[in-house]
Amino acid sequence: MATPAVRMFRRLEGLFCVYKPSGVHWKLVRDSIETNLLKVLNATPSQPLPQEVRFLAQPSTETEAPKGLTLSATSVPVLSKHPLVSGPEFQNIQVGVGHRLDAFSSGVLVLGVGNGNKTLNDLYRTRVTRDYTLEGEFGTATDDFTHTGGVVERSTYEHITQDKLERVLAMLEGANQKALLMYSNVDMRSQEAYEMAVQGLLGPEGKSAPILTGLRCIHFQPPNFILEVQCLNETQKYLRKVVHEIGLELRSTAVCKGIRRTRDGLFTLQDALTRHHWTAADITQAIRQYHSSKKHRKRSQSPAKKPALKTSEDVTATQQNEANEEAATRWFFFVLFIWLDHTFLGDAPHIRPILFI
Amino acid sequence: MAFPFVRLCPRHVSTGLQVCSYATLSKASRPQEKSSAGPVFQYVGQNKKPTPKVFVWGFSFTGALGIPSFVVPDSGRKKPRKYQLTPYRLETAEQISSAACGYGFSLIASSTKDASKLWGMGLNKDSQLGFQRTQHSRHQSYDYVLEPSPVALPLVNPLQTRVLQVACGRAHSLVLTDREGVFSMGNNSYGQCGRRIVEDEVYSGSHIIHNIEGFAGRVVQVACGQDHSLFLTETGKVLACGWGADGQTGLGHHNISSSPVEVGGDLSGVEVQQISTYGDCSLAVSRDGQLFGWGNSEYRQLASVTEATQINSPRHLPLKGCGKVVQAACGGTQVAVLNDKGEVFVWGYGILGKGPNLSESSTPEVIPSTLFGRSQFNPSVAVTRIRCGLSHFAAVTDRGELFVWGKNVRGCLGIGKRDDQYFPWRVTVPGQVVDVACGVDHMVAMAKSLL
Repeated sequence: MATPAVRMFRRLEGLFCVYKPSGVHWKLVRDSIETNLLKVLNATPSQPLPQEVRFLAQPSTETEAPKGLTLSATSVPVLSKHPLVSGPEFQNIQVGVGHRLDAFSSGVLVLGVGNGNKTLNDLYRTRVTRDYTLEGEFGTATDDFTHTGGVVERSTYEHITQDKLERVLAMLEGANQKALLMYSNVDMRSQEAYEMAVQGLLGPEGKSAPILTGLRCIHFQPPNFILEVQCLNETQKYLRKVVHEIGLELRSTAVCKGIRRTRDGLFTLQDALTRHHWTAADITQAIRQYHSSKKHRKRSQSPAKKPALKTSEDVTATQQNEANEEAATRWFFFVLFIWLDHTFLGDAPHIRPILFI
Repeated sequence: MAFPFVRLCPRHVSTGLQVCSYATLSKASRPQEKSSAGPVFQYVGQNKKPTPKVFVWGFSFTGALGIPSFVVPDSGRKKPRKYQLTPYRLETAEQISSAACGYGFSLIASSTKDASKLWGMGLNKDSQLGFQRTQHSRHQSYDYVLEPSPVALPLVNPLQTRVLQVACGRAHSLVLTDREGVFSMGNNSYGQCGRRIVEDEVYSGSHIIHNIEGFAGRVVQVACGQDHSLFLTETGKVLACGWGADGQTGLGHHNISSSPVEVGGDLSGVEVQQISTYGDCSLAVSRDGQLFGWGNSEYRQLASVTEATQINSPRHLPLKGCGKVVQAACGGTQVAVLNDKGEVFVWGYGILGKGPNLSESSTPEVIPSTLFGRSQFNPSVAVTRIRCGLSHFAAVTDRGELFVWGKNVRGCLGIGKRDDQYFPWRVTVPGQVVDVACGVDHMVAMAKSLL
């Protein structure tokens, strides 16, 4: 029979996301959440101690003669199961972290508890993109590409206009779109490659170089500018380097003042828990929300055969991501042979390793 | 005051400034430098204009790329480079405004008023690049020109006339100027140079550059087919001369015409805004967006109106679903048109751009714009220029990107590999592409730098 603590733990299993503030190592976030959860789990009122029947010798007074041992059956609590003896029920819980965020960046950080860690693994083996907002400033170049680093060079930026910035971003985006095609393992001479290219489904499977699938400028006020980036397989240091290289392409210099992850797969800033909400109650609610939205998604796409085989040409990037992630959750929660039915992907060699989870 | 933290940096650490093998202060304890100290570099002023550049790629042994070290290496250790598979910068003296690729040769022209405004490189066995005097003898001409060499046009006012456009065919070329009409050079065995055919004329080492007469108005565009020439006047009339066995001259017969004659058929009374040809099929786009075609139709280029394989008089092609046609490009076996929305339609025979399964079509097939870079972040990318080589296509978008697809004849696509490309693929050109010229096995692209 599960103890109340274990029942509460079962309610806690799943995925949720938090807002990691900048200046904090991701491990501290994970540790503090684990500590909060442990505190609450171990504070659940434990079941009353089971009783056992023991034959105890009655205490005999001095006056009675020690003629044989009189044992009497008494029901005593099992002391070995007392929390003070065995320790708290949960010493540690498996809290896993999804894509990491380094100390300089902030934003959505996906965490998984218990069984959710397995989903985390599967989810991140598919091609899931992440959205970032990069704040940059022209005029300086530093050794670690941030505004807190040691200044390497300073240069003018009066010649930079939004039009020139757009041209550089278009060039970068073109190069990254080409990289998407180059890193995909599909044979370019096949009809399948053409179909996937039309729908925008070509891309790297598994590890690859960082690729920016979308890049645009949402605010421009020299010397400051803000870029919105959608990327795959990236690190935050790479994104800061991208800001630095944009400065170089514009014949000037640039540093990154802030990186903020606004979306990681299907988790957005709206679902992220801020520091004051890193309590077990809020986390349980977030996980419940995640489970219900997952059921919603499963129900809404069960009539459709495969979400990615849309014939319309306006498949947006988020729809592609949703298709990938829904596909991932389906793989975990449905029987695997459903996917083998799809002849479209049935003979693509790169899908097979994922089916062998 | 705390003792400053000092640590030894190993030589291999390459983080920014700390590449040294002696003790140095770590970042945390370095005294904060004043931000106003140190020089401020200015790399570019506010009035910097983008630099024009020319890129070439493809088969280099004919000299058509204009880079002599590919054919004759500078040093003994280097090997000749037969195929240039990615864009290579061609240094030119002036800004090149017009380029054309023929069958093994190229012409590049600048719209300057200076004395040298036209350069040619590549095959010159029929004097399609004019007379290129050899170093040793002034009566001999080079058969292969490895470097862009000036072509001496016999202009009346060489310092006033500008070259507007050049066009190259199999063994002849046409040069359009703004004040002195059209000049033609090269092979004239079918009258494609617009002058009287001379029996047994030797074209190699010929000095003849003929100024074509017989135009009622000013010529605004020229196009060269394999052995025929098309001219477009400012009134919208099309004239043709040259070989007509496939009806590509559109003059109503299958004979040779050695001087430009106006083309009739469905084009009479129609104002044409663009003409295009490269093989034996010819196309014309009218000002109101209609498409007319004539010539070879063995590859189903004109099969939407007729099953005949040679059409010697222009026919109007009713294209369903294409909208208003803005540009047309004609290759050897395939045809492409561009409509006012920036969509590309292809038909004909060969690698059309919709995967290996579509190798033949007689009706226009649209190429999805997601292949040209349209995505959620860029919903409005449109193609602005479409060109055809003998068996491949090139498209330039409004963002300055170049997409190519088709048969990769000796590396002419410039995508870094020699495989055929079945759907549009970006060519990595360092800069924004302005225009491109396609030949049989090489291409020339005019680009400008980003800034």
